[in-house]
Amino acid sequence: MMENIAFLGDPSVKQEALTKLRSHIAAGTFRYGPAWSDEGADAIGCIVEADDTPRYSEMLGYPLALATALPSIVNAFLPLEEAARYAESWLERTPVGADLSKVVSQVLVEILEEPSVVALTVQQPDVEHSRKAVIALHRRVIDGDGPGRAEWKAVRMAAVAASDTVTDGVLLRSVGAIVEAAAWPASMRTVLHDVLGARGGLETKQLLAEIGWTDEKESEVYRIREQAETTGQFAELNGLDRVLALLDADHPELAKGFRQRMVQFEKLGDAIRAVGLRIVELFERAPIAVETR
Amino acid sequence: MRNVTEQDFDDVVLNNAKPVLVDFWAPWCAPCKALAPTLDELANEYADEVEVVKVDIDANPALAERFGVQGIPLLMIVKDGAECARTVGTISRSRLDAFVDSHVGGE
Repeated sequence: MMENIAFLGDPSVKQEALTKLRSHIAAGTFRYGPAWSDEGADAIGCIVEADDTPRYSEMLGYPLALATALPSIVNAFLPLEEAARYAESWLERTPVGADLSKVVSQVLVEILEEPSVVALTVQQPDVEHSRKAVIALHRRVIDGDGPGRAEWKAVRMAAVAASDTVTDGVLLRSVGAIVEAAAWPASMRTVLHDVLGARGGLETKQLLAEIGWTDEKESEVYRIREQAETTGQFAELNGLDRVLALLDADHPELAKGFRQRMVQFEKLGDAIRAVGLRIVELFERAPIAVETR
Repeated sequence: MRNVTEQDFDDVVLNNAKPVLVDFWAPWCAPCKALAPTLDELANEYADEVEVVKVDIDANPALAERFGVQGIPLLMIVKDGAECARTVGTISRSRLDAFVDSHVGGE
C-alpha cells in the first residue's frame, strides 16, 4: 500500500510534480487557491490540472487532509511570489518515500499546545478538559493505536458542549472552535483545513482585541460608508481612501482606530504561515517507509 | 449524494423510512460549494442512519418556496415525513455532526 507514502516512493513522481509547478510559476500562471482555469492554477491545480484535491492526494501520496488544507496554507503567504515559494518548498522538502500518515495528528497536537491557545483554554475548565482529551486521541494515533469512531465522537460532542458553556468572551469562543474542529481523526478530509480556519479566526480576534477594536466599531464604519452612498460625500474617492476620508472628516477617534485595525490586519496569517512552515519540517523528519524505486 | 427534484422530492424525502438530511444549495453559492466535501463525508459516515440529498434551488424553485428557503446553504432534517430541524449558513464540521446526531442519533 502506497497510501500516505510521499510520491508513492517514486522519485520520478516528485520530479514531475515539481516540473509542473515550476512551469506554472515561470509562466506566471500560478494563482492563489482555489483556482483551476485557463488563467491559472493553484498549488493543487498546477499538479493535477483539475479542481480535484483527492486526485492530488492519490497522485503524490499526501494524506487527503493535508492536500485539502494546502490551498489555505499557501494563501496565507503574501505576496504571490512568497506563496509560490512555499508551494515549491512543500514538494521540494518532502522526502520521496516518507511516511506522512502521522503528520496531520502531529500538526493538530502542536496547534492545540500553542501557548496562546493554552493561555485561553485554561480559563474555562470544560474547554481545557476537551483540549487535553483531543490531544490524547491524536497522541494515540501518533503512537499507532488509532481510537475508534465512538471515542472520537464522544470527545467531539463533549468539545461542542464545552464551547457552549462559554457565555462571554470572544476569544474563549474562538479557542473552543479550534478544539471542536480538531476532534476528528486525521483521516477526516477537512480536519486540518477546519482547524486552520478556526486558528485564523482566533488570530483575527486576538489582533483586534489588542487594539480594542470591536464588532460595534466595525459596524459603525460600515454604516458611515453606506450613508455616504446616499449623501455622495467624498464620491470622488474609492475604496479605503474614501472610508478614511469619511472618518477623518467627522469621526477622528474612529479614524485612528481604523488605521490601527489596518495595521493589525497586515499581521494576519502569521499563525497559519507558522503552521505551514512546521508542516514542511515534519515532512523532512517523517520516517522513510519504503525503498525508493 | 443524490440530487432530488420537484418530481421525486416527496418519494425520496417525505416517504423515506430513514431520516433525510436535505441540502438546499445553488451552483453560484460559494459557501454551498465549500460545504459539499463535508456533506459527502457526513453522508458516508451516517450512511446507515440517514440519507443525505441535495436540492438545487435554481432548478427547483417550487421546493425552495414550499420550504421557505430564504438563505443558503440550508440544511433540513426530515423525519417521518416532517421537518424536525434546520440550520442556515456555514456550519463547522463538528457542529454539523452534533446537529445531525442530536436529531438522528448515531453510533
